[in-house]
Amino acid sequence: MQSSIRGFGWIEMGGLHAYLPARLARSGIALTGMYILMFWGVVALFAPLIAPWDPHEIDFAAMGDRGFSANHLLGTDATGRDMLSRIIWGARTTFVVVPLAIGSAFILGGVAGLAAGWYGGWIDILVSRVGDVMLSFPALILYIILITSFGPSLTNIVIAVTLAYAPGVARLMRGQVLAVKERDFVSAARAGGESGPYIMFVEILPNVGGPLIVDLCLRAGYTVILIGTLGFLGLGLPPPTPDWGGMVVEGVNFLSIYPHMALLPAAAVTSVVIACNLLADGLRERAK
Amino acid sequence: MNRHPYLMPLKKDHDAGKVTRREFLRTATLLGVSSATAYGMIGLVDPVSAADHMPKGGTLRVETTVYDIKSPATATTTADPMIFAQVVEHLTQTGTDNITRPHLLESWEPSADLKTWVLRVRQGVKWHDGRQFTADDVIWNLKRLLSDETGSSVLGLMKPYLLKEVDTGEKDDNGNAVIRHELWAENAIEKTDEMTVTLNLAEPQLAVPEHLYHYPAVMMDPEGGGIFDVDTVGTGAFRLTEMEVGRRAVIEAVDDYWGEGPYLDRVEFIDVGGNAQAIMNALLSGQVDGSFTVQPEFAAPLDARENLQRYEVVTADTAITRMNLNHKPFDDARVRKAFRLALDAPRAAEAAFGPFASPAEHHHVSPVHPEYAELPPMARDVEAAKALLAEAGYPDGVEVELTIQQNPPHHLRSATVMQEMWKDAGITCNINVVPNGQYWDVWTTAPLGTTVWAHRPLGVINLSLAYRSGASWNESAYANETFDELLTKAESFPDPRERSKVMADIQALLQEDGPIIQTYWRKLVTYYDKRVMGFAMHPTSQVFFNKMAIQSA
Amino acid sequence: MVRKILSRLAQYGFTLLAASFLLFTLTEFSPGTVASKILGPYALENQVALLNAQLGLDEPLLHRYVDWLQTLVGLSPNLLPEAAPGLGLSDPRGDKYFGNFGYSLMMKEPVLDVLADRIGHTAWLSAWALGLTIPISLLLGTLAGMHAGSSVDRVISTVTVTLTSLPEFVVAVGLLLIFVASLGWLPGTSSLQPGDQWSTGAQLVLPVTVLLIASGAYLTRIVRASVAETMQADYVRTARLKGLSPRRVIWAHVLRNAMIAPITVILLQVNWILTGVVVVEAIFAYPGLGSLMLRAALFGDIFTVQALTMLALSVALITQFLGDVAYAILDPRIRVD
Repeated sequence: MQSSIRGFGWIEMGGLHAYLPARLARSGIALTGMYILMFWGVVALFAPLIAPWDPHEIDFAAMGDRGFSANHLLGTDATGRDMLSRIIWGARTTFVVVPLAIGSAFILGGVAGLAAGWYGGWIDILVSRVGDVMLSFPALILYIILITSFGPSLTNIVIAVTLAYAPGVARLMRGQVLAVKERDFVSAARAGGESGPYIMFVEILPNVGGPLIVDLCLRAGYTVILIGTLGFLGLGLPPPTPDWGGMVVEGVNFLSIYPHMALLPAAAVTSVVIACNLLADGLRERAK
Repeated sequence: MNRHPYLMPLKKDHDAGKVTRREFLRTATLLGVSSATAYGMIGLVDPVSAADHMPKGGTLRVETTVYDIKSPATATTTADPMIFAQVVEHLTQTGTDNITRPHLLESWEPSADLKTWVLRVRQGVKWHDGRQFTADDVIWNLKRLLSDETGSSVLGLMKPYLLKEVDTGEKDDNGNAVIRHELWAENAIEKTDEMTVTLNLAEPQLAVPEHLYHYPAVMMDPEGGGIFDVDTVGTGAFRLTEMEVGRRAVIEAVDDYWGEGPYLDRVEFIDVGGNAQAIMNALLSGQVDGSFTVQPEFAAPLDARENLQRYEVVTADTAITRMNLNHKPFDDARVRKAFRLALDAPRAAEAAFGPFASPAEHHHVSPVHPEYAELPPMARDVEAAKALLAEAGYPDGVEVELTIQQNPPHHLRSATVMQEMWKDAGITCNINVVPNGQYWDVWTTAPLGTTVWAHRPLGVINLSLAYRSGASWNESAYANETFDELLTKAESFPDPRERSKVMADIQALLQEDGPIIQTYWRKLVTYYDKRVMGFAMHPTSQVFFNKMAIQSA
Repeated sequence: MVRKILSRLAQYGFTLLAASFLLFTLTEFSPGTVASKILGPYALENQVALLNAQLGLDEPLLHRYVDWLQTLVGLSPNLLPEAAPGLGLSDPRGDKYFGNFGYSLMMKEPVLDVLADRIGHTAWLSAWALGLTIPISLLLGTLAGMHAGSSVDRVISTVTVTLTSLPEFVVAVGLLLIFVASLGWLPGTSSLQPGDQWSTGAQLVLPVTVLLIASGAYLTRIVRASVAETMQADYVRTARLKGLSPRRVIWAHVLRNAMIAPITVILLQVNWILTGVVVVEAIFAYPGLGSLMLRAALFGDIFTVQALTMLALSVALITQFLGDVAYAILDPRIRVD
């Protein structure tokens, strides 16, 4: 009985199901972004099979010429490791770190925002005030402080991204919840005697997904930039993890002799960020 | 003048071709012969006395990191004296030819047993306020540098022959006895007359003049209390007129310098944030006329510039990956040797530096050192390394963390190469890159870390600083009586060939038992504008701005 | 209204206080102790322990936070000069004054003086970046938004989406390669040293351009979206149907309404530039607060980090407050509450 009501709700509200994949299919821009991400996703997933070299292996024979060759299609890096293989494995790093960081930020921020919007009262005040405090820190400064204090590691980068993003997500979620809280399908569920958490997660969450997914895409793109920037500032992932941002940093020093060392990973970073932005744009356009 | 008894045999050896010209000059000057005389003894002209006509005036702009240098006595990098040593000077000076000459001293004279050193203060040297530089100034400075309170690395350097340890009877918070240092004898540093100081050593030491050029050992005005700042009174060719840490420093010529020059009116030290890329960019754009050092990877674009001249020097500058014996598994000599055996040093050197380094042999004595002994190559042997690890109780290998500094970036390249090679021997190494400043918080305590060691003219100096039991720069907590004895013995031989026989034992001991892994020696490279005259690359990057000039554009 | 503004201000004050506590706690974890950084790597252990005690560093966290706060607002003196007399630390303002962040461990000078030397440089850089970003983005964004779907829009949108996807350090490196290493038209560093043969203007071009590209592309997109949306609004359609000239429609209706969203974004850009300058200043060796922040954090100069962060927090909160006020003025439907 109730499920059919909910079903109408999704379509009517432009909720989660309406965005993906129906909305996607109708937006060329979003599709382009999706294809780029899928390409890198496949590369990341099958990295061990695709990569011609071990990403850590140093080819001492290639020391003389780091440029493109039959052995190393995209040349080698400053330490003599295969660029192509490192870019392939770098995709895997990106596709692990970014979803992990974004995922935890959205879980933490999402739950806090849901609770704040749904329950109101002191929970709302607490979430909003803590969020205000966190958001008042310029993000990069917060990262620099966190990472110089606790050291650069995958865990700390994920924690830093979570702390920086969760308040924004919570704020967005809270607004969305307030907007749908008084809708019929929510009232119906409430009248039906459903528990608070049930209504929050089963009734409300699917119906507020749209703007959150756009936000997620934008934040994912920014996280890719951020990890690169942290690497550039010397606060990135610990070596020898093949990480695109770190590869740009190492390669920058050789820019005038072997531009491929910095430009190829820079292009990889940029393509993922563009894909995220296109996806977000496409979804937003379609949502109107 | 009393000639050291070893001098004539040395000349004979030189004439017979048993000692190279370089070794002759170095050893003869160490024995108290002026460098002009030493060059003259073998029919050459001292390049230092052959000064050209230099253009006068002008401002030179040099890139360097402008650190806080309020306390030169505790200076820790060779970039610090680039500024302060232009104002406050050393008693001696090791030139770009790796030969040490008297500077604020007029001469020195060791006894035949190398245990008594007479230091004659140069006549006519004045502090900037007009006061005469005398033996009292020398004594005040030496005693200050050797006191615990000052915290200078000179203490560790001279401790074996000038100091003794005294147990105060107190305990610190951790229950360890509080040890203090005192001069080993009342007359260890003795004022002979107004212009003469005599050092009476506890044991023979050859490298006293070299030690006096250790970069923190500058002569400060006793009235200034040892603090270095704008307008500090010194004896140098320049005085400091501006100081902004992390940004810039300016020195300006004084009117009546006692020595050569200065030809320049002023030198501006420009800090571009220590970013290697920014250093290159500043040179490319002509925003600086020269740089402290340039990383080798930037050589190609800079070589392509018409107006820039490349200077380089082969040095004993290196990075030592030291194992701290207070941490497992490095307390076991077999493990330490296994870490060395698992590496292919020549390949590692090439991978990290290309043509800008030469391979090292894990014993911190360089082929450019006069006492270097050639040992059979320590070839890579992964199986032997595995066997040693198993013998030491690690049949499944070990996992360690290597702490390295963020800059310059070749540390990471070098560490990555070692990490890969170690993998084959069952050694799992995680690399922990820390900002340069933070590295100095852990450099004496981290289990495994890579520390930069500057060039020093004699092999024994580094060994004494870093591996003698209890030395203040002993970052590996290495304590080996045999090593200490051999080193003390080596330090008593003026003849580089005699010394090198003991060095062979020391080097072999370090390869077998020592706390270090060392794969390369660096070349130091820098660039100056072609208008700049009188520059030569010094193996410790020291610059004598009083001898430099700039042609107007 | 006044009461609401005051209560908003009080709320921001509370946020600042809570943020300062968080900041103080985080910097506590900076590796190495204050004493070891002051005394240098060759200090004896007993010297470090003594200094720690003199500075009150062995007290509990909350106690130290209150001490720090009291020193900051000028109620109690900074203990450092007395505890470490060998460093010759002195502060012309005395030891008790508002804004006493102590001494920079890296520079051995009062933190306020260190900041004062650099704040003007960053303000100058930001002013140029914002001064160019705002008009250019408004122009391009309005142009694209008014002709949504046209070829002009497509070009502007494609370029801006690409540019916002480029990390600043990639843009900076690319510009360096072209204009410094290859063409030699511009200086490679912007350290604003007196006597540099490159003019200050030439030194500012590259840093400003990087900030402009990163910030301008983003702002253009926001303006475009907002204008495009407003163009679709009923009252604009009505106005156009009534036969008003397109120019009148744009000035009278579209821009005013379309600017509500971008105005907050512009204010956020002020905030963003404060952090964007960290990367740009580091690359171009620009002597501002951003490069200082990075250097101080890497050195573990926690007093400088604290001061810079408090400054950034204040700017962030002030811009937020201005955003609230601007919102209220531009859109009468929203009240400050």
